[in-house]
Amino acid sequence: MCAMTPNDLNTPAPITWCPGCGNFGILTASKMAIAELVNEGFAEHKDFVITADIGCGAKIYDYINVNGFYGLHGRTIPPAVGIKLANPELKVIAYGGDGGLVNEGISHLLHAARYNSDITVVLHNNQVFALTTGQATGTTERGFKGKSTPLGTFEQPLNPIVLTLMAGATFVAREFAYDVAHLKETLKAAIKHRGFSLVEVLQPCVSFHDTTQYFREHTYRLEDEGHDVHNFDAAVKRALEWNYDLDPNARVPVGIFYVDDSKMPYEDGWPSVRKGPFWKRERNRDWREIVSMYRVE
Amino acid sequence: MHRQILIGGEAGQGIAKAAEILGKAFVREGFYVFNYRDYPSLIRGGHNFNVLAISDEPIMSHEFEGHDVVIALNDDTIVKHAAEMKDDTVILAPNRVNAENKITVDTEAIIRELNVPRIMENTILIAAAWKHFGMPFESLEKTIREELKGNEAAVEAARRGYNAVDSSQPIGERPEKKPRYFISGSQAVALGAIAAGIDLYIAYPMTPATPVLHYLAALQTKYDYQVIQLENEIAVANAALGASYAGAMTMVGTSGGGFALMGEAMSMQGMSEIPLVAYLAMRNAPSTGIPTYTGQGDLKMAVNIGHGEYPKVVVAPGDPREAFERTIEAFYLAYKYRVLSIIVSDKHLAESTYTIEDFSPRVKPSRNIVETVPPDYKSYEITETGVSPRAVPGQADVPVRATSYEHDEYGYTREEGEWAIKMNDKRFRKVKYIAEEIAKLEPVSVYGEGNNVIVSWGSTKGAILDAIRRLNGWKFVQVSYIEPFPVEQFKEAIKGADRIVLVENDVTGLLGQIIAEKTGIMIDEKVLRYDARPLTPEYIIRRL
Repeated sequence: MCAMTPNDLNTPAPITWCPGCGNFGILTASKMAIAELVNEGFAEHKDFVITADIGCGAKIYDYINVNGFYGLHGRTIPPAVGIKLANPELKVIAYGGDGGLVNEGISHLLHAARYNSDITVVLHNNQVFALTTGQATGTTERGFKGKSTPLGTFEQPLNPIVLTLMAGATFVAREFAYDVAHLKETLKAAIKHRGFSLVEVLQPCVSFHDTTQYFREHTYRLEDEGHDVHNFDAAVKRALEWNYDLDPNARVPVGIFYVDDSKMPYEDGWPSVRKGPFWKRERNRDWREIVSMYRVE
Repeated sequence: MHRQILIGGEAGQGIAKAAEILGKAFVREGFYVFNYRDYPSLIRGGHNFNVLAISDEPIMSHEFEGHDVVIALNDDTIVKHAAEMKDDTVILAPNRVNAENKITVDTEAIIRELNVPRIMENTILIAAAWKHFGMPFESLEKTIREELKGNEAAVEAARRGYNAVDSSQPIGERPEKKPRYFISGSQAVALGAIAAGIDLYIAYPMTPATPVLHYLAALQTKYDYQVIQLENEIAVANAALGASYAGAMTMVGTSGGGFALMGEAMSMQGMSEIPLVAYLAMRNAPSTGIPTYTGQGDLKMAVNIGHGEYPKVVVAPGDPREAFERTIEAFYLAYKYRVLSIIVSDKHLAESTYTIEDFSPRVKPSRNIVETVPPDYKSYEITETGVSPRAVPGQADVPVRATSYEHDEYGYTREEGEWAIKMNDKRFRKVKYIAEEIAKLEPVSVYGEGNNVIVSWGSTKGAILDAIRRLNGWKFVQVSYIEPFPVEQFKEAIKGADRIVLVENDVTGLLGQIIAEKTGIMIDEKVLRYDARPLTPEYIIRRL
């Protein structure tokens, strides 16, 4: 059998992102990661499922030729959790933006991390609502002026790396959308990880929040500074280094913050789920036997 | 023969359990029993009571007055129910309870002597009531062993209670013993889901839907399915869509407030055509309302849940037999037509226990997953029936898509008007086939004979049936499928009526509004109850 290439995962759907959009980096890295994982025998192409919510990033549903679930705004994680419970053999990647994952659906992000559900969440963090033409989100830096915030935002941004670490995530990473080679490798590691994984992707929005230059100048790689990915306290310390404000003196760490392989994935805790896909099970339950527990003789 | 027993006390005194045991013992002796449960929203203290209606003929309702025996575990039971008592109501109570002409049972002494927990006072008192009616100890003993998992101390406590009083008002002739079911609406929904082939029940607790969550959770290992409680109702509904998309027979359960939160996901069901079953147990509303009390105010919410237009099934069982059978039908229709099936129940049906002769499911649900997936598989293939063949991810090396966005046959996003028309037409083409299917499932039931007609739905069935038995010339038309509405069957059922009265447990007569919309028939005469309490035969008869 021929090796799979990223182009084999193309679809006929026309791509409608702005030229130069950071989402292209995420799309390319995702297709490369899936193709390589298939070629390496980690999983079959038929076993990959992606979920998406709503927004620019969510359009990725149309652009990767794998099983796909195009959900509601803020709700990319719950269907991913449900898919994995229904069939734990599937490899589930949940794509969502900062609006969806940090605003509308932050409860799902924290709880899925707490469950240690064996899914990979890719957070397209452009620090703005882009498809609605540029409003502040929960990760937008202080001082941002958008159409809904002409006076400038002054609320402190949320730090999804810190939040998911605190919630019990067992794989937490951050990458830069234009560094496709590193992003691809981190995605592969996250997908292979058994348990909840978060890959935050710093994704400049060329139309409403162009941070390209800022991240090119301020990011550094964690592995270059000898960061120990198994050290929780060190991970938290690194995660707190950048607070999402676009401070000219800040250093923005990228790479893998934390990995914990010792925690049981959520799906393993459910005896009936552990047996494999439900759809393959023949059900021959006898209704007379079932109601007999309330029969009085 | 008809007797009514009220058992009252504080939350935590085992009132509900005592009523269940006593009711079941009467069923064991061949009687029909209806067990109404009334409790405020608290865990300890307050005032709880159950009313057991016992008859040698079928009975599916109680009255709030005219009790033959009152078992009082506290003073409140005497004070709060004073107006409901008859001249000859017998009160059974421990020493400490203040009441005139009571039969005192020295529960304190029995508890001390046997060195058993205080809560066993309930068992002692129901045994005394059992003896009061002249019933044989053996059937109560067997019931206590079953219900309290072989607790021999409880059996001994009951024996003492039984021996402490006389058979003052023996029930003379007893009916022939016959095996029957003593089951609540919640238990019936849970068992219906199991019989239907459930793989995943995903829920978040909310009264009065929570008992289904508990019953299903207790049986998950025995029947190889899973009960998952997620972080909120929005997660529940969206996870359920994901699970069903991936091939699991999935059901969610909640009450009105939770269902409102699920609304957007229900709308996504409409667009994505992922099969899904939802159990909606209504309580008094709007908003928080009176959480542990009943009402039928969410009917139109069920019919209209979620934004936009999409076909769905709404079915409303009227008793536990129907709850069991209709739950199976809900799965059958959802998974055959890739639609949302909503089972509408309420606190009254969910938490009352009924005596049921038997069950008789009409259909057998199936996952309806294609045997082989064609290489050019289209998740949203346009077919004559509007139902696209269902494949699941991982089944074959062909992508399976589900989407909240308007789409083409492959599930790719399309914004052209042409696709909006094609796909809306496809989705609504199902309605005709669902309606044909529903026509075979007794969507409208007629009970009794007469030119006067009561029209109603859901848990009012019990009170209405018991009312028309006492009236002349009245029949009852029960609508069980609300959506798609069985227009022809309904028109046929009310044909030739002199008088039509709408009976509902809500403020404005919601079924009446739906009937007007679907058939053009306006029902002006209404008996409505909205004090958060269920209808009773007396309530209806007085207002007809």
